[in-house]
Amino acid sequence: MTIAERSAGQIEVLAEGTAAFHPVDPDGFRAYVRDNKNRALEPRLMTAREAVDRFVADGDYLTYECNYLMRGPNEVVHEIIRQEKRRLWIAGKFTYVDVALLVDSGCASRVDCGFFLSAPSIERAIKERRLEVFEYSNVIMTLRLQAGAMGVPFLPVRSFGGTTGFDHSGAKLIADPYTGNPITIVPALNPDVALIHVHQADIYGNSRVFGTGISDVESALASRKVIVSAEEIVDTEEIRRNPGATSIPYYAVDAVVHSPFGSYPGTCPGYYGSDPEGVFEVFRAVMGDGVRAYLDKWVTPFETFAEMLEQRVGREKLDAMRAREVVKEGYSA
Amino acid sequence: MTRAEAFSEREVAMCTVARLVEDGRTYWAAGGGTPLYSVLLGKKLYAQGAQYVTEDGVIAPEPLLPFEPMMTMVASRAVHRALAWGTMNSAGIHAQLGYMDYGVLNTLQVDQHGNINSTFLGEYGGTGRRFGGPGGADTIAACCWRTILITDQDKRKFVREVDFVSSPGYLDGTPGARERAGLPRDTGPWRVVTPWAMYDYAPRRLRLMARVPWVSTEEILAECEWKPLVADEVAVLEPPTAEELEILRTELDVRGQTTDAAGSWITWDGEKYVRQA
Repeated sequence: MTIAERSAGQIEVLAEGTAAFHPVDPDGFRAYVRDNKNRALEPRLMTAREAVDRFVADGDYLTYECNYLMRGPNEVVHEIIRQEKRRLWIAGKFTYVDVALLVDSGCASRVDCGFFLSAPSIERAIKERRLEVFEYSNVIMTLRLQAGAMGVPFLPVRSFGGTTGFDHSGAKLIADPYTGNPITIVPALNPDVALIHVHQADIYGNSRVFGTGISDVESALASRKVIVSAEEIVDTEEIRRNPGATSIPYYAVDAVVHSPFGSYPGTCPGYYGSDPEGVFEVFRAVMGDGVRAYLDKWVTPFETFAEMLEQRVGREKLDAMRAREVVKEGYSA
Repeated sequence: MTRAEAFSEREVAMCTVARLVEDGRTYWAAGGGTPLYSVLLGKKLYAQGAQYVTEDGVIAPEPLLPFEPMMTMVASRAVHRALAWGTMNSAGIHAQLGYMDYGVLNTLQVDQHGNINSTFLGEYGGTGRRFGGPGGADTIAACCWRTILITDQDKRKFVREVDFVSSPGYLDGTPGARERAGLPRDTGPWRVVTPWAMYDYAPRRLRLMARVPWVSTEEILAECEWKPLVADEVAVLEPPTAEELEILRTELDVRGQTTDAAGSWITWDGEKYVRQA
């Protein structure tokens, strides 16, 4: 009897979800890290176009941090839409309009649901089988990322048991081998690619996030390929001046994109407030089945995000967004 | 306390929840909207020593009000002057550890055992309607010691069995059902608040415990597809006060979106409150 067979007999599975989930393979992940992640302190600054071209592939499992309205990696999301990536599987946690943007643009065909803004186009995509939804919750998704970031295959959790979502997920209910009590376990999530918008990074990828967040660090460590977009590129001496402020270390990062106002029309807390008009426009586009028109106005006509900001938004509005962000305490190292 | 001349239905629900807020307790308020505004109102008027967290892991903020539209989490005004900044996992784990006394949620649909549906109306995978999913509510409903649910008093919302359990109540209502599903011991739904009524559980089954003066018990039951138990004495809730409404309208929901200014109103006719249909 192999070790695998023996331990399978010892842990009693009381119930399990029946949905597909992104494959769990901690040793495969370690091997990927060994063979692909650059541990040399070498610059990895590049444009969003190059980062997406090199590190986002059709069929990838994609996680992005926060969302389109709050410190979202919107420049990189726009670039994914521009490059017409296909068959992406999205970690839909704490996300509002982003899922509709990625589904309506034809980029995404699967989503693990914690929460997203449902919309007419999403319902249509589900009915026409262009979109498959798997059910989790926000915290279950970030705990799955936590397991992925720890290099372990699953994590016991105290929520999610007893829900209908459980039945449509990759979770299992087991008899805990220590206490004998029932406990839910969820599969580790190791996305193919993570997009994280940060306040500051150096050219190597050492990154600082200020304020609250969802799972920046977990996503960075759990994902095979990591694209960081940063409001500011800072000198490595500045990073070394306050190492406690580093949220993500360089070796987890594959690409650093300098992305000022990269969360437009959302806020980057401490740096600029949202553009309420822009927020309402994307919200209305999603709820009113107007995502294609939105993308034709804000994404596809432009070569770069910076060009969109310059031509579509304008310096005056960007300055006003910065001026309106009056809270500064806590948003520096 | 000053008598209010007029208020919206949703304002009634928020004021009712605000009065449940207690000093020295922790509240996990779901997302934006009614749960967060109810807790903030309670803190301002009745229990300054109550503390709250939201899904982005902020602990005990003193938000700079009003929020910008749709910016009730992560944004700097929302997390202003907190005691700690965290992440979604820190919020979830603190709740798993037992630090969250109350969870405050809203939902589409609730059933007799307090199970919550925010995912799908109709047969899952069929022709029904898709909604956003549980978000943080599943963890709130699973791990906070007590859960307060806010919803509208509407026949379609009070059902025998929800179409989809997004967040757990007492599941099938049998003793120990939550524990058998791996959820923490001694947790569960505590109150449901609507613009017309407040419910508790007797035990593990929804029971009408109080109503607003301008709606009868019969009218409430008519707006429940599945009839809840009814307490022997259905208490009468105090209407919103002018002080509560002032704060809601001028400090919290200044745009009138959450207070549902466009919905039904209740007005004082000189002798009593009357609901304008």
